[in-house]
Amino acid sequence: MRALDLQDVRFKHRGSDHWALDGVSLQVEKGEFVTLLGSNGSGKSTICMLSNGLIPHALPGDLQGKVEIFGFDVKEHSVAEFSTKVGMVFQEPESQLFCMSVEEEVAFGPENLAVPREELRERVEWALELVGMKGYNDRSPFSLSGGQKQRVAIAAALSMRPDMLVLDEPAYALDPVGRLELYSVLRDLKERYGMTVVLAERDAEEAVAFSDRIVLMKAGRVIDSGPPRIVLREPSRLRNVGVTPPQLSEVAALLNARLMTTENSFLTVEEAERAITEKVLAWRMVKGR
Amino acid sequence: MAGFVDLYTEADTFLHRMDPRVKIFAVLLLSLLALVLSNLYYLLILLAFIFLLLFLARATFSHTMFALKFVLRFMALIIILWPIFDPSGTPMLASLGPIKITEPAIWRGFTSAARVGCLATVWYILMFTTSQRDLVRALVKMGLRFDFGLTLAISLRFLPTFSALIDSIKDAQRARGLELSKGGLLKISRNYVAILVPTIVAALRTADALSLALQSRAYGARADRTYLRDLKMRVSDGIALGVLVAAFVLPVLAKYAFNVKL
Amino acid sequence: MEDGEGEMIPATPMLPREEKIISIHGLRFTYEGGVVALRDINLDISSGEYLAIVGGNGSGKTTLAKNINGLLRPTSGEVVVGGRSLSGRTVADIARTIGYAFQNPDHQLFCSTVEEEVRFGPANLGYPEGEIVKKVRRAIEAMNLESHRKTPPLSMRLGERRRVSIASVIAMDPEVLILDEPTTGLDAQESSELLAKLRRLNEEGKTIILITHDMKLVAEHAKRVVVMSQGRVLLDSDPRGAFSDPELLRQSNLEPPPVALLAHKLSELGIPKDVISPEELVFQIMRERGGP
Repeated sequence: MRALDLQDVRFKHRGSDHWALDGVSLQVEKGEFVTLLGSNGSGKSTICMLSNGLIPHALPGDLQGKVEIFGFDVKEHSVAEFSTKVGMVFQEPESQLFCMSVEEEVAFGPENLAVPREELRERVEWALELVGMKGYNDRSPFSLSGGQKQRVAIAAALSMRPDMLVLDEPAYALDPVGRLELYSVLRDLKERYGMTVVLAERDAEEAVAFSDRIVLMKAGRVIDSGPPRIVLREPSRLRNVGVTPPQLSEVAALLNARLMTTENSFLTVEEAERAITEKVLAWRMVKGR
Repeated sequence: MAGFVDLYTEADTFLHRMDPRVKIFAVLLLSLLALVLSNLYYLLILLAFIFLLLFLARATFSHTMFALKFVLRFMALIIILWPIFDPSGTPMLASLGPIKITEPAIWRGFTSAARVGCLATVWYILMFTTSQRDLVRALVKMGLRFDFGLTLAISLRFLPTFSALIDSIKDAQRARGLELSKGGLLKISRNYVAILVPTIVAALRTADALSLALQSRAYGARADRTYLRDLKMRVSDGIALGVLVAAFVLPVLAKYAFNVKL
Repeated sequence: MEDGEGEMIPATPMLPREEKIISIHGLRFTYEGGVVALRDINLDISSGEYLAIVGGNGSGKTTLAKNINGLLRPTSGEVVVGGRSLSGRTVADIARTIGYAFQNPDHQLFCSTVEEEVRFGPANLGYPEGEIVKKVRRAIEAMNLESHRKTPPLSMRLGERRRVSIASVIAMDPEVLILDEPTTGLDAQESSELLAKLRRLNEEGKTIILITHDMKLVAEHAKRVVVMSQGRVLLDSDPRGAFSDPELLRQSNLEPPPVALLAHKLSELGIPKDVISPEELVFQIMRERGGP
């Protein structure tokens, strides 16, 4: 059973004559970390809203095609039902935290499901620990930094014990420190917990290194889907789609062009450093002879 | 920022530790008592008792004055204006045309002012010793529907956020040459449109986003609901409650059942 | 030398005119409540410069910007704009010289058409009608909004709304344009179009100050970088100087762009540390190979 199964999906918001999704087929397997990469209007947010039923239940419109979330048809189950399977994190930290303290926020979801108190306490502590916000229980959301707010939002989604976490441009409003904090939590979730994650992003610089798959989107369609190394090989392709290519991809592509090869691809600075150092030392040895 | 709304100051006093339901009940009873008593001396005794509570709550003079400054001005106004507008009673002390200043009226002025003082101070003590979180929790536990409690909680939580937002909007418009205090009434009202529209748009956007977040966390999924934090009455709370009821019931009984002049 | 996407040899920056448009001496600023946001800032900005003030949250960069346009007044020290001190001048008056485009355009937009929105600024400053019409036209052209003159700004997309907000600031004809995070939320194309327009404005003589924490943006566009941290200026130099020290940037809660980090790590091989673009890095690496 797949975490997310979209077949030939088209969607138009009510009152709009523009197809937000125009024939999208996409599968996310359990345990995968998928990054949806695209610019404004590419449809990545629409897919996020579909993943827990907000589309079509809270955001009505014309939905065509098959959408199954862990085997359940999205049209036939409510957002509340999906909330135990899919946790959702939105891009604006301020408007998804509405309780007066961090622990209330994280407990809110399971409280709505009438989870017994001892288990509530357990879940709250577990979720806060996972996102590195242990001990922040009594803090008010207003007093937190952007990065901290988003981590609380993740904890609030995790306390529902979902099988999949969906994040719609979570780093949008964050400064560099906040971004780093956020991505280290996501990396942790993947590596320690094997959580299925769908991440919608406009700038793939950080997520690239630990995504299993990148799905490139433009104007409601999937342009390409595959492992980061393959999809990010052509920076010009990314630019065509309105996405800024990661700088390391550009370095690799330029190097490949000059060396007339296709072997280079760098996902992390360390990887690039090793590869380039190797080459340069090799060239020097040759020159030395 | 949130200064004037959140008077809560953390401290470890018995009033802070008291169950918020008992505190709400106490405040209601004491307010009622203030309204029932009409003898100035007894009101002053009540006021003294309330000041004692203030002291026990470790409220500082400056914080109290800051919170109550409008109340104090209002009280002074009552004391001054009452004798002017209430010409009844004897002996008359002075007169100026239709205005007659009488001695009983002066005392009545002080009595009303003392009443206002009791009411305001007792509510201040509630706000000072109880966090917004506990207040909402208490109200819900006492029977307020959770939906209303959540609405109240969300409004309180977003007050500082929107206050900062409005400041930001004012700054942004001032940077475009908008001068908010210049001009006649008509111009000023038009100027405030430049503040109001972005604020309302932001509020609507936030409301939309909140709605999606609430739904994503199963809000309203079931009729029953559990709570992480519970409010448990302790023995000390029970005793306080008992004392409170006695302190309230006795004077009321005395006044209405036994016609003691209170 | 190579022709292609990047410049192998960076163009000589336009020499800024000698005239100092902004002069800051000993600026200190403390918020009500005691937070010291700026400590002893000294900064001179010449007319026609294109600089970026960078730093993480809490570095003081926004506080500094607001001291320059009068929204905040120094606790001590002085800000001199166009030869006159700011003290005693109203924000509206200062807005004639210093334009400030806020990060969130929705905090400024409230009119029913783009045209009205762009008029708002110059109308507030009391220009005669003829002047207003001219300024509005120029601003709308500069931001490519001619076809949207009668469109309601609130119905436009974020990238377009940001252009409207910037146009409404340009219409006041200020000599200096301060832009707070102008590329947040824009995709690659919108971003590069906007920056191209800013470059054009700079070439026409306007002083551009970007407030940002996007170091890639800074590397590509700014000619001078002022790095702030905890209320102080840590570094004031050209972008190369700023990026040659990733530790310094980290201290200000900034992330150096990956290329700069990589160059730094490769410095032991002899790759210069102050490389700031992918093209330049590859150029330097290929030099090691020698030959064709």
